[in-house]
Amino acid sequence: MILFIWVISLFSQASEKLDTLALQEVQVSAPAFERFGQGQKVLSWNTTQLARLQNQTLSDLLSEQSPVFVRSYGPGMLASPSFRGTSAGHTAIYWNGLPLNSPSLGQSDLSLFPLIAVDHASLQFGSAGALVGNEAIGGSVHLNSKIPFNLSSKLLFSQEIGSFGQSNTHLKWSRSWKKTALQSKYYRHFAENDYPFKDLSLPGTPEKTQEHARVLQEGFVQDFSWRIKPDKLFKSSFWYNRADREIQAPMGSSTQDLQKDESFRWVADYEIIKSQSQWILKSGLVSEKQFFNQSLNQTRQFLLSGEWDYASKGNWSFHMGSRISLIKGELSTYSATDQRIEFFQFSKYQASEKLILSLNLRQQVFGDTFQPFIPGAGLDWKIWKKEEQELTFKFSGGKGFKVPTLNDRFWSPGGNPDLLPEKSWSAESGFEWKKNKLGQTLTFYTLNVDNWIIWLPQGSIWTPQNIKQVISKGIEYSGNTGFTLGQSIWESNWSFSFNKAVPIRGTSKNDASIGKQLPYTPIHQAAIGLKGTWKHWLLSLQGNYTGQRNITADSPKTMAAYKLFHLAASFKGLKMGRLQIPMQFRVQNIFNTDYQAIYLRAMPGRSYHFNLSIQL
Amino acid sequence: MKFNYIRFSKVLALFFILFSCVENEPERPLGEYDSGILIMNEGSFGANDGEVYHLNPTTGTLKSDIFEAANGRPFAGLLEDLIYENDNMYLVANTGKVEVVNPGDFTSLGAVTSGLDQPRSLTVNSGKLFISDYGPYDQNYGTPDSYIAVVRNTLGGNVAKKISVSRKPEDMISFGKYILVAGSEESKVEVIDAEKEEVIKTIEVGGNPSVFYEAAGKIWLYSTGLSEVYFYSFHLDNFTLATTNIYPIANATGKIAFGNDDIMYLLTSSGWPDYNDGIAQVSVLGPELNPNWYSGSGFYGIGFDKNRGELYLANSNGFQGNGTITVLDENGSELRNLDSGRGPSGFMMR
Repeated sequence: MILFIWVISLFSQASEKLDTLALQEVQVSAPAFERFGQGQKVLSWNTTQLARLQNQTLSDLLSEQSPVFVRSYGPGMLASPSFRGTSAGHTAIYWNGLPLNSPSLGQSDLSLFPLIAVDHASLQFGSAGALVGNEAIGGSVHLNSKIPFNLSSKLLFSQEIGSFGQSNTHLKWSRSWKKTALQSKYYRHFAENDYPFKDLSLPGTPEKTQEHARVLQEGFVQDFSWRIKPDKLFKSSFWYNRADREIQAPMGSSTQDLQKDESFRWVADYEIIKSQSQWILKSGLVSEKQFFNQSLNQTRQFLLSGEWDYASKGNWSFHMGSRISLIKGELSTYSATDQRIEFFQFSKYQASEKLILSLNLRQQVFGDTFQPFIPGAGLDWKIWKKEEQELTFKFSGGKGFKVPTLNDRFWSPGGNPDLLPEKSWSAESGFEWKKNKLGQTLTFYTLNVDNWIIWLPQGSIWTPQNIKQVISKGIEYSGNTGFTLGQSIWESNWSFSFNKAVPIRGTSKNDASIGKQLPYTPIHQAAIGLKGTWKHWLLSLQGNYTGQRNITADSPKTMAAYKLFHLAASFKGLKMGRLQIPMQFRVQNIFNTDYQAIYLRAMPGRSYHFNLSIQL
Repeated sequence: MKFNYIRFSKVLALFFILFSCVENEPERPLGEYDSGILIMNEGSFGANDGEVYHLNPTTGTLKSDIFEAANGRPFAGLLEDLIYENDNMYLVANTGKVEVVNPGDFTSLGAVTSGLDQPRSLTVNSGKLFISDYGPYDQNYGTPDSYIAVVRNTLGGNVAKKISVSRKPEDMISFGKYILVAGSEESKVEVIDAEKEEVIKTIEVGGNPSVFYEAAGKIWLYSTGLSEVYFYSFHLDNFTLATTNIYPIANATGKIAFGNDDIMYLLTSSGWPDYNDGIAQVSVLGPELNPNWYSGSGFYGIGFDKNRGELYLANSNGFQGNGTITVLDENGSELRNLDSGRGPSGFMMR
């Protein structure tokens, strides 16, 4: 089938060379995972929304504004996602189409993605092995650069100071012409993190000041777009990031670990855009170094892909391609290389104005063998649509997979080269209802992850095995509305999620964890957001509730639920000639809640942040 | 009458003076944890969730997290050792602290919370605490600066002195004003004069010295080698080796339980790549020797209830969650199973 459509694509490409339609008319704006992801939920943040969060990281964004539970080991410390009950390695993360999860660890530290570096972010829910690829079991995160053409020069300097020795500096410049666009960003985030906390490890639980938690992160991003011809576009982005962190010890320990992370990421796209089709050739490189104390771990990934997108004049759309990834790891205990080839094909059929169906397929070759075929399918059905309201039914199902990481296979001693990929299937259905300014969605999902890899001690050596099988089921509800009060305009959103993620197979038949909620996976989560604008003022309030979490797999011990609220006020009315001087004052954790996301990992109480920008 | 009052008051005064001169500390009322079995749960690395469980073997009642229940705060450390000396219970966390609790109810009496690196064990001598400590890791994860920390108060406080010893000191035992230290990495036993707070002698032994115990009026050392185990006794007048017994028991881990009739149970683990764990049975004072008395996997701690003739075997269950305890009779037959905390690593029979 894939070959057949490739043949069609080549012929159609030949026939379209005569077309001379303008770029803007045909440019495919939404990424493929959105256009072919019928029945799947996607949450997005645009440039304006991210600009308000530019002093925060992906960890903050997901924990405050999505149902992803972020396992945070302290401010600026390791933060890993738990999405729909899955583990940290079950959320794929992409930047401009490049996979960012470490090939050796199989996961990412969300604290290492400052939001200033990106212009658009999307969160895709559920297993999408066919649409997205490796590791999209719980879902996936997509970070992108976006620089429009024909914009005048913009220069922004921003400085934020805050409690606990925080000092963030940003410098951003962008300029675009008719055919070229440039954007440069530099950021430096520093925090002493010397916040007070109640030390539960000491008699009398005295208040102490956090020590050894200093974080410095800085980086540089360069985005470039060149419209070579009306139908040809070249885009390239480069992102250098380094972080130098003192690793915050859990209460009761006084370890003095140091971690340095350094990453170079580069991607280039060449796009040929025709009236009904588009070619995208992508090449990218991700090079990462991590020093943990004196131990150096280094990985490199090179990626090359070719994709073709076609929208027929009828009701069909296709997207297909292949991707080659070459991976090299030089870890403290081993060196290894890996090669992966993927073929994928997405199809969409608009059966009627009300019904859209999609079928997506992916074949992965990992090692020397073809892994099981990964399918996914979905539909969006507008049950009814009237002037003021519409109701859409969504349904999708699909498989996901995760190739064992380099560490899983090659770590010495203990690596297990015979591991199978983790595999999952998921199904979700739900409704989207919109009436005037009120919107609500309700989603039910079920997710089954098998061959779940866990490391077990075998004598004094730990080794990974395909042991567990986990079923995760849940409900996600969200809503939003808008209203006016006098001259002020308000927007509000709210969400609630319920998740039950339990192993149905464990290390043995008598494994006490079977049937019990996975550790650090809250059953209940909720969020509320309120944003109001009045003249040059903007006020926003964000609240989150995180339910009780089990500390261990067999759940005899739990951590208390907590509620956090954050408030921000911005003023954009101050101008001096051509200079605009926007300001923001932010209070994080306004009720000074004493909480831990992870057992005995202290988190900061109330903090104040003031941001002043100069924009030219 | 007046005379009688004076005589009576003199007798009464004499009575009070006589009894006040006798050093007889008031008896501490026995608490719930002064009997039964304490289960040490080491906890998981990086999580600091070590704790103590209490089992009443008569009723089968198991109480979890008794430190947290008594003190309203978690233990917050990796529990390396549990020592009952000087009528206090000492909980040694290798994450860098020692908690001192009332042995009857586990309420906090004091602590050593600073000045330690990786404490392993403790003994009380001459009104002071002596804490064996690996010292900090160097760049190659070696421990060249191991020491015995001295705290001059049996209820905790600051570390007053660090006595340098050979690498990786483990168990200690007091004898008079002297302390024997098991120097596990360099095959040494160091003798410390507790009053002078210095090492006065070093005895060379074989294997990795692990545990001291008393039997037949002597102090013994259990030491493990790759393919054999060693039992040494000492002349305590001049601190020289008295007897040496070597048994062909391979892969012993250093964990030992003392059964009835001088029989000892040694935990063994073949480790990589076969992962076979087992229990060997041996007696220095008797004829028993069975290197393969019991086998399985995941064994992490061992203890013996002499009153009931039952062996307690702890399984860490891969640290994926809590561990389990299997109770065996003296023939190695399984009697029952119990839950435990994370990483059950040892037992104290009260």
